[in-house]
Amino acid sequence: METAVFRLKGVTKRYGDLVALDNVALNVRENEYVSFLGPSGSGKTTLLRVIAGFETPDSGRVFFQGQDITHVPAHERAIGFVFQNFALFPHLTVIQNVGFGLTYGKQPLPAAEVDKRAREVIEMVGLTGMEDRGVDQISGGQRQRVALARTLAMQPKLVLLDEPLGALDANLRGRMRNELRAIRERLGVTFLHVTGSENEALAMGDRVVVLDRGRIIQTGAADDVYSAPASPDVAHFLNRFNLFDGKLTAGKFTGPFGTVPVLAARKSDRDVYAVRYDRMRVMPASTVAHGPALKAAFVASEYLGSSIMNFFETGDGHVVEMEHHLSLGAPDIYQPKQDYLLTWNPDQAIVFGREPR
Amino acid sequence: MSDATVSVPRKDWTTRLLLLPGVIWMALFLITPILMIVYVSFWTQTTFNISPDPTLDSWKQFFSSTTYVGSLWTTIRIWLIVLATTFIVGYPTALFVGLLVKSKTLATVLLVICVIPFWTSFLIRVLAWRPMLGKEGAINIILQKLGIIQQPIEVLLFTELSVIIGMTQIYCVFMVGPIAFMLARIDRNIIEAARDLGAGFGRIFWKIILPLSLPGVVVGAIFVSVMVLGEFATSGALSGRKVNLLGNIIVTQVGSLKWAMASVVGVILTVVMGIVIAGFLRIVDLKREL
Repeated sequence: METAVFRLKGVTKRYGDLVALDNVALNVRENEYVSFLGPSGSGKTTLLRVIAGFETPDSGRVFFQGQDITHVPAHERAIGFVFQNFALFPHLTVIQNVGFGLTYGKQPLPAAEVDKRAREVIEMVGLTGMEDRGVDQISGGQRQRVALARTLAMQPKLVLLDEPLGALDANLRGRMRNELRAIRERLGVTFLHVTGSENEALAMGDRVVVLDRGRIIQTGAADDVYSAPASPDVAHFLNRFNLFDGKLTAGKFTGPFGTVPVLAARKSDRDVYAVRYDRMRVMPASTVAHGPALKAAFVASEYLGSSIMNFFETGDGHVVEMEHHLSLGAPDIYQPKQDYLLTWNPDQAIVFGREPR
Repeated sequence: MSDATVSVPRKDWTTRLLLLPGVIWMALFLITPILMIVYVSFWTQTTFNISPDPTLDSWKQFFSSTTYVGSLWTTIRIWLIVLATTFIVGYPTALFVGLLVKSKTLATVLLVICVIPFWTSFLIRVLAWRPMLGKEGAINIILQKLGIIQQPIEVLLFTELSVIIGMTQIYCVFMVGPIAFMLARIDRNIIEAARDLGAGFGRIFWKIILPLSLPGVVVGAIFVSVMVLGEFATSGALSGRKVNLLGNIIVTQVGSLKWAMASVVGVILTVVMGIVIAGFLRIVDLKREL
């Protein structure tokens, strides 16, 4: 990993008794887009703030472009940070916001040069014509672009994005994702993107880093994380798996759906059986099942555009989800409160257990 | 449709009814007295009598007397100096309380501490400066004991300086409060964003913090101005009658039943305050901030 533009070594950060970051290590290559995924409180924002220099880690080191920057103050790091709520300067216009760092930063540029560069970046994010508006006179999506432009104007090698798309509506979010990707390809900037949305993490990241309770619990390409979560917790955040507790013994998993043979199991501190939503099959309750089978009542369905999510509830109150991709044909219609039999191909399940195979 | 046409006049009625007590109160106790003052300023004043025959005598007397015109300039000078000193002392305090103190609880405690002097009456607070500043007062004794001075500093009390010191202490908190409130409302992320863009503390202060706290400065300045311009007690108690503000003139004139002259000074004071407040409101659009 000699080409790493950015490196974290054993970074730990505590707030009183709370361990926000626990011995985090990470290498990021040049021009890579890394998404940090985790539930709120997992330490992902703290990690970003340590990288930006707003927080100092209690132990561990931060390296950037081959230099130890652990104790370098934020304004000398040349790392861009896009805030969750954009943090625009409310008393300045769009172009003054974008030019702020160029005018008042470490290496102030002459006014003409600032103006030229600010206009270039504003054009890149598609805000030409808005230069002299106040930032309270533009929409949320435009504010997001100003925040991004303000950071990119400094031409940083590394840009940190703290849930930057969280404040936007779904339509804008999709467009901003495309634009972020295009900007990265044009400028060759490394992006670190914190998000609580599994869709965003999977869609944006070359690499997805999953955090939980201050620790990195999985790192990998988006599709690897998606199809092979490293732990029940990862499977849980991805929000694409039905998880069943049970017991794994001698190559068989016993859960609420019966006992099924297991081909492979991943090491974990508890026995969990995971089945992807779109691998579930729904049968009439009267069907005689071969393999795993779970009796559950239909609750409701949710239309997601390209697929339909059906919610079932088992006798003990466990909600089981089934996703039907509309490209596979028209969805079946289920009757509310009616019992159905849920089943799946056990080969497609992912099993975690204390006795890995 | 018919619902809408019915509800509009009713709403109108409710609004008027709710406004009525306030309007009556203001008309009786604000508008009428001000008009009365203006009216009385044109009355004819003789040594022992006053009659409502219109005359410009009192106005002419005010503007031809160096004492009266001088006290107008003294008032404006003291007002500007106290405005500056309360800002110079108050802004750093507000900066500390509103921005640098991270805990909201501690910030509240500190603001309450600022208000503690107000638990005693205004006059006590003013008079308490006498034993502090006097020839044999606390400051002179301490400085002499420390050997910093040999002779007591006499300029401390019964001078313009003592009036300025007293007013600064009494009115400073009215500057601190609004500024601290404005500073506390600044999103910390904005300051971090400026830091991230490479700006040092000085730049962040001049370009971000100060402009964003300006509405607080204006509100504080209006509070201090209104109170200082109408002052008479501090200058009366701490200047040894050497500093005569417009307020002191009014007190003297009313005391000797010279109602017409007191009214002239009152009108002038009101006009000065109106100009000052209008001027401050032009600096910042307060409607946007509230």
